[in-house]
Amino acid sequence: MEPSTHMPEPTGKPLLEAIDLTKRYEDGTLGLDHVSFSVAPGQVYAMLGGNGAGKTTTINLFLNFIEPTEGEARVAGIVTHKEPLQAKEKLAYVSENVLLYPNFTALQNLDFFARLGGKTNYTKDDYRRVLLRVGLQEEAHNRRLRGYSKGMRQKCGIAIAILKDAPAILLDEPTSGLDPKAAFEFIHLLESLREEGKAILMSTHDIFRAKEVADIVGIMNEGHLVMQRSHEDLVGEDLEKLYVEFMAGYMEEVA
Amino acid sequence: MFRLLVEKELREIIGTTKFAVTFGVCSVLILLAFYVGARNFQVSQAEYEAARAANIKQMEGLTEWTRIDHRIFLPPQPLATLVSGISNDIGRTTEMRTQGELRSENSRFNEDPIFAVFRFLDLEFIFSIVLSLFAILFAYDAINGEKERGTLRLSFANAVPRDKYILGKLVGAFLALAAPLLIPILVGCLMLPALGIPMNSGDWGRLAMVILSGYLYLGVFLTLSVFISALTEKSSTSFLLLLVVWIFAVLIIPRTAVLVAGRAVEVPSIDQVNYEKNRFMAQLWQEDREKMQSYSEDNPRSEDGDMQAWMEGFRKFMDELGTAREEKRREFGGRLNEDRRNREIVQQRLALGIARLSPTSVFSLASTDLAGTSLDLKQRYADAANLYQQTYAQFIREKTGQSGGFMITMRTGNEDEKPPEPIDPYEMPAFEFQEPSSNILVNEALLDVGLLMLFNIVFFIGAFVAFLRYDVR
Repeated sequence: MEPSTHMPEPTGKPLLEAIDLTKRYEDGTLGLDHVSFSVAPGQVYAMLGGNGAGKTTTINLFLNFIEPTEGEARVAGIVTHKEPLQAKEKLAYVSENVLLYPNFTALQNLDFFARLGGKTNYTKDDYRRVLLRVGLQEEAHNRRLRGYSKGMRQKCGIAIAILKDAPAILLDEPTSGLDPKAAFEFIHLLESLREEGKAILMSTHDIFRAKEVADIVGIMNEGHLVMQRSHEDLVGEDLEKLYVEFMAGYMEEVA
Repeated sequence: MFRLLVEKELREIIGTTKFAVTFGVCSVLILLAFYVGARNFQVSQAEYEAARAANIKQMEGLTEWTRIDHRIFLPPQPLATLVSGISNDIGRTTEMRTQGELRSENSRFNEDPIFAVFRFLDLEFIFSIVLSLFAILFAYDAINGEKERGTLRLSFANAVPRDKYILGKLVGAFLALAAPLLIPILVGCLMLPALGIPMNSGDWGRLAMVILSGYLYLGVFLTLSVFISALTEKSSTSFLLLLVVWIFAVLIIPRTAVLVAGRAVEVPSIDQVNYEKNRFMAQLWQEDREKMQSYSEDNPRSEDGDMQAWMEGFRKFMDELGTAREEKRREFGGRLNEDRRNREIVQQRLALGIARLSPTSVFSLASTDLAGTSLDLKQRYADAANLYQQTYAQFIREKTGQSGGFMITMRTGNEDEKPPEPIDPYEMPAFEFQEPSSNILVNEALLDVGLLMLFNIVFFIGAFVAFLRYDVR
């Protein structure tokens, strides 16, 4: 099935590209079926879909945690399954429900992951600035994460991704665990990252946030990209209604 | 990057409560092992000196060498303070005779049975039981724990080669466990000379190798833990599996090996062998009694004959009889002993071969070999005692003119004659138990040290390969 597509003109060479990306698991399950899309610098792409739709599979393919059965995932033109280490240098990642190292403080966690990402010249002040930017209070910076709430840990995870300063960012359910205020702040953070020219691919269940921040919204169902719309196309549209319609339409087509 | 990963691992482990507890418990146990071991050595050394002095003292005033009751003693070994091995199980006292088989008695456990029940807290025990468990506690969730925390995904979202990551984990975990142990071990080593343990350069070298073997042993459980952690999805599963492996390695395999070997190779008991020997001796005595009877009939003592000459002739006859009987006894007993010993060797080889499936057994064998307290100690002491018996018999022969065994002392004379001079016990050759050279002991331990290395290599490769294939999602 071809997705219903109304796309904005690309603003630059895509940093994230899925080209006929297909993943069939060893047990025969089709995780992703010939999915193609691209995310240019300064664009936010939101993948919507239920559980098992293929959102996390797509992100895993970009991270080369799994290899595609067909097609390619590219980061800044680098095919991820062929040159994974080079591709990962261009990627930052925020995972859903990351616990990080509970015996490390926020600063220690940031320091480790920043250095792991090749950033060795940051100071503690840099870490503090980023933590404040993601909304983590200063008094928490030197506390061990074992006492953190889910939302506080998520903020740390986002700070780690920001520190890497990679041109492309993958966000897997980034607002999961955030309270409404923190989710609101996160949207502003995404907007500022977009302004910095980052290409952002975000998987989410949150239709409201997706419509608010995304330049492109893709709806996925059972491994298929069933709809793709630009932000402009969605102005005045009820995305929730569209989502339900496209999901239902797809189900009918399959039936 | 490798350094960063090692540092992270170190900091992650050192920052935990379990590390603080482990460090505290290990420090106390290790220092206690050194202190208690050193005190035991002091006591054993004092007992040894006292027993030797008492042995000489009880001979003072005696006028005949035929009446002495001489004992030899196994001196305490300095490294037995830390690796007791079988040193507490074997008899340390041997009643010396010019003829016949020697028996050792008065083992430490025989004298203080309570220690046989609970054994001693020595360095080998601490490594074998306590530290191996801690090694598992440190590394059972090395890989799957990272997956559960989501840090594995986050780490591999960066340009991190898997081989560096797993290597960093292994090295970091090993350093986190090994480095803090060095502090109490070094303090313990400083305590040894301060507490009067006579350590020579060879002893220090062997102690260093015991500690190295201990670290290799910990390495086995660390690499195994990382390996199993990379084979399983959940840390609770890997912990359970490792606990089962630990129980088998530490408790089941060594005991089963002895049981299996005991069933497979039958070795007659000492009582059985002694029964055979006694029966043979009784038969020889019976034959000799008949010969003595014949001697009396063939050489009747006339009323007016020279009593001294007759007695001299009878003594010579008895001496020859005794020598011939001893030769037969030695030959027969030697045959039985050799047969038993050969079977024992086969049984031991089989038991040790099976036991070596367990790294715990391998470490025990390596450390006791190095400390000179392995199974060989018993045989070495027996060999030294048998060798000394020959020197002692020669000495007694020179002093008494008799070959020992059934000795007759005849004294004739009148009351005006000067009383006999007391013997000088210090004339007697001294028994010196020479521990084999450090080179020999190290060579004996090389197989097991090599096996510990092999275990490390196998589990390391296992962990490495398993992690290269590990699903980090």
